[in-house]
Amino acid sequence: MVAQSQRLSPPPFQRWWQTYGPQVLPPLIGIAAFLALWQGVSSSGLTRLPAPSTLFTDEDTRTLLLNPFFDKGGLDKGLFWQTLASLTRVAKGYLAAAVVGISLGILVGVNRIINRALDPIFQFLRMIAPLAWVPITLIALPNVQMAATFVIFITSVWPILINTTVGVQQIPQDYKNVALVLQISPRKYFFKILLPAALPYIFTGLRIAIGLAWLAIIAAEIVMSGVVGIGFFIWDAYQQNYVSEVILAVIYIGAVGLILDRLVAWVQRLIVPEQ
Amino acid sequence: MTALVTVDQVAKQFPLAGGNSYLALQGINLEVQRGEFISFIGHSGCGKSTLLNMIAGLDQPTQGQVWVGGRLVKQPGPDRMVVFQNYSLLPWLTVWENIALAVEEVLGHLPPVEQRQIIQHHINLVGLTAAKDKLPAHLSGGMRQRVAIARALAIRPEVLLLDEPFGALDALTRGNLQEQLMRICEEHQVTTVMVTHDVDEAVFLSDRIVMLTNGPGSQIGNILTVDIPRPRRRMEVVKHPSYYSLRSEIIYFLNQQKRIKKMRARSVTAVARHGLEKVNLELGFVPLTACAPLAVAQEKGLFAKHGLDEVHLVRESSWRGIVDGLVGGYLDAAQTPAGLPVWLTLGGHQDKPLPIVSSLTMTRNGNGITLAKKFYQQGIHTASQLRNYLQEQTEPHILGMVHPASMHNLLLRYWLAAAGIDPDRDVRLKTIPPAQMVADLKAGTIDGYCVGEPWNVRAALEGLGFTVATDQELWLDHPAKVLGVREDWGMRYPNTHIALVKALLEACHYCDQPQHREEIRHLLARPEYLGMDVRYIYLGEPGKLTCELNQPEYAHHRFYGEGLNRPSRTEHLWIMTQLARWGHVPFPRNWLEILERVCKVNVFTIAARELGLLGTTQTSRSPIRLFDGSEFTSNQDPIDYLNHLAIKRDFSVAEIVLDRPQAAG
Repeated sequence: MVAQSQRLSPPPFQRWWQTYGPQVLPPLIGIAAFLALWQGVSSSGLTRLPAPSTLFTDEDTRTLLLNPFFDKGGLDKGLFWQTLASLTRVAKGYLAAAVVGISLGILVGVNRIINRALDPIFQFLRMIAPLAWVPITLIALPNVQMAATFVIFITSVWPILINTTVGVQQIPQDYKNVALVLQISPRKYFFKILLPAALPYIFTGLRIAIGLAWLAIIAAEIVMSGVVGIGFFIWDAYQQNYVSEVILAVIYIGAVGLILDRLVAWVQRLIVPEQ
Repeated sequence: MTALVTVDQVAKQFPLAGGNSYLALQGINLEVQRGEFISFIGHSGCGKSTLLNMIAGLDQPTQGQVWVGGRLVKQPGPDRMVVFQNYSLLPWLTVWENIALAVEEVLGHLPPVEQRQIIQHHINLVGLTAAKDKLPAHLSGGMRQRVAIARALAIRPEVLLLDEPFGALDALTRGNLQEQLMRICEEHQVTTVMVTHDVDEAVFLSDRIVMLTNGPGSQIGNILTVDIPRPRRRMEVVKHPSYYSLRSEIIYFLNQQKRIKKMRARSVTAVARHGLEKVNLELGFVPLTACAPLAVAQEKGLFAKHGLDEVHLVRESSWRGIVDGLVGGYLDAAQTPAGLPVWLTLGGHQDKPLPIVSSLTMTRNGNGITLAKKFYQQGIHTASQLRNYLQEQTEPHILGMVHPASMHNLLLRYWLAAAGIDPDRDVRLKTIPPAQMVADLKAGTIDGYCVGEPWNVRAALEGLGFTVATDQELWLDHPAKVLGVREDWGMRYPNTHIALVKALLEACHYCDQPQHREEIRHLLARPEYLGMDVRYIYLGEPGKLTCELNQPEYAHHRFYGEGLNRPSRTEHLWIMTQLARWGHVPFPRNWLEILERVCKVNVFTIAARELGLLGTTQTSRSPIRLFDGSEFTSNQDPIDYLNHLAIKRDFSVAEIVLDRPQAAG
């Protein structure tokens, strides 16, 4: 009986493949084709860009790839440590941006006069590229670490702020009417109606912001020399013409960005109830 | 008793972009008593939700005031809880939590145990016990609205305000919820104001129905009182005699509003062609056998033959529709009861004299008085027998007629009065659209009626009633339907007027020829005209002049003949005396002037000459002879005639001041 039922139902992997194969296969083929094309272009000598295979063929890069955890002091650290340093900076700046963005966004969303007063300033500041902030922050703030954190903050605060504002402004008139008719206290209105109603918008802002923050840290670190971080690592490798290391770092950056986005999406699913 | 809700001279203006403003409501006065159920009904955009919001305090009136429970409404409050159309539940809270939010906020002074009891009680009340921990997203639309109603009722509001509460629900759910709502409102004596666009819902639920006219500047058009006793059950309500009259009253009102809106939207431009000032005509009629000339003129192409290329026949279900059409100017001309031109000219409609001219008498006869079958069975075959019967009765008897200005009203009253029955004191007369007479007779809400064919024949054939008096027993060859146009219209489009009379006179001639009778009967049976079985429709047997009390009874229409189509001053004068006799309008001291204005003999004469139908142009010099042997002649003093009538109201004599005749500008 047991043997029979085993024969009837396919082995676990085959079952998994039947379910998820159609989803997994196309991206795998896509990536493989992309790498093959890159490899071909690089080998043909059309560009100086090294082929993806150099990640393994180049000895230094292979060391970095296989051992991300080494720490030889100073700036000479494994890619894990480099990434972690960048992430810590992002975490600080992003957290500050979330706190400031959400609270200011609610304030602006609720009060039309404040909105009118601040909107032009916000739109003006929003348009300044992260890199343009670097010289200002370096002058204004006492050290490079703080300056880098501030650049993250200033870059990621706008989407959070603007989305929160919109989220508060778009609270359906019906909900507001219910609150008006029931004469709900402001505290209760905030927690029971305003916040839940604006939450989907706030998370959209948070998700856009995490991507921007990650983008900004790389740029900031490239400009601010002498800090441990993946951005500076790229710059350093480029200066020394370790092109394959640059490619490795780029892969790290992309992967971390993807993970960060998914992380926020997961938190969003946890907090915002499906409606 | 003071009203719970008072709306006092309220107007609401909305500012528009660009500095303009939109006047949504104006001059709204309304009082709602405690425990009453009021509905607002009207077309979209008539401001009914705005009015509700002003009672709720969500909107402030631009002018006037709203008082609830003796307090001026300045802001919203839980004493005026609103149930919104789209439920307005908070999607992140469960059913329980949604209601709890309201209860905690409004009844927070109560101990928590009691609060929980209240919440549970109201969830049970709307039958959602099993769903109390579900989120709104997992509920159907009907269930959501029940939660919203439970939430509203749980906080014990003084007034419950419902904004199209069932608008988004399917019919079955809607019906169930209406019954639930009514049961709850009746049991708890909740004062309710509801906005709706559903006529049946309004009649079913309301004590009074407030009908709003179309915006801009919507006003209360009318307030209907629903006299159906409570507790109401749907099946009993639809059987109640008032149900259909209320329903048709509302539908008539809404239709009228729609037409006014349409008329405003397209300002009709006159299309001039073939030497006629206007060839695009809207021609009103009521589906009766007497509408044959219009049907024939249309179907036989007689309108087109005389150059009127774009004639559109507008079917109205009641004479009131014809009156509103002529007064409102969206009918160019209409087939009207013979008394209507005089009645309108003398200010019968809202005391505003509006000169209407008649240039053609289209039909004669074709009317009759029908009594319910039960009278026949009790041996009541004449008016005097009816008088004796009525003297023994205590409960009021109701007879139907179609319009105060119709010959039916005047002939019925004359017939009753001649037998010594006072038509206002011994019986009650009620205005009912022709097509509804048989239904009312069947339902037993009226005891008889005077109406044009086919409704007498139909009652007889269906065994519901019998024709107690036909044209022969009233006034043989009395004018029945005439062509009526506004005087200013006739002056503005004189050639069109003549062409119209020509087309219709030719049609009358066609109708009168016996060989066409079958064809016309089948034509009239079509849905765009009478829309009924051809066996009810008879063009008449002029030879059969006796009233046999054995059914079926036949109509005696006359459409054409010597002296029959020419507008008669004598007849209109007689109508004037009768309208004054019953107090519908004062008798005009300047009656000669009025007759000149109403009877457009010259238009008729030109039309008849151009058609070569000279025989019809001769004046009949013979006096009017009614069944009671009395005569009325053109050289009689009408006031003297009135004074000699036995049964009459205190009629008044007054100068009717008409504007100088002028073409519509």
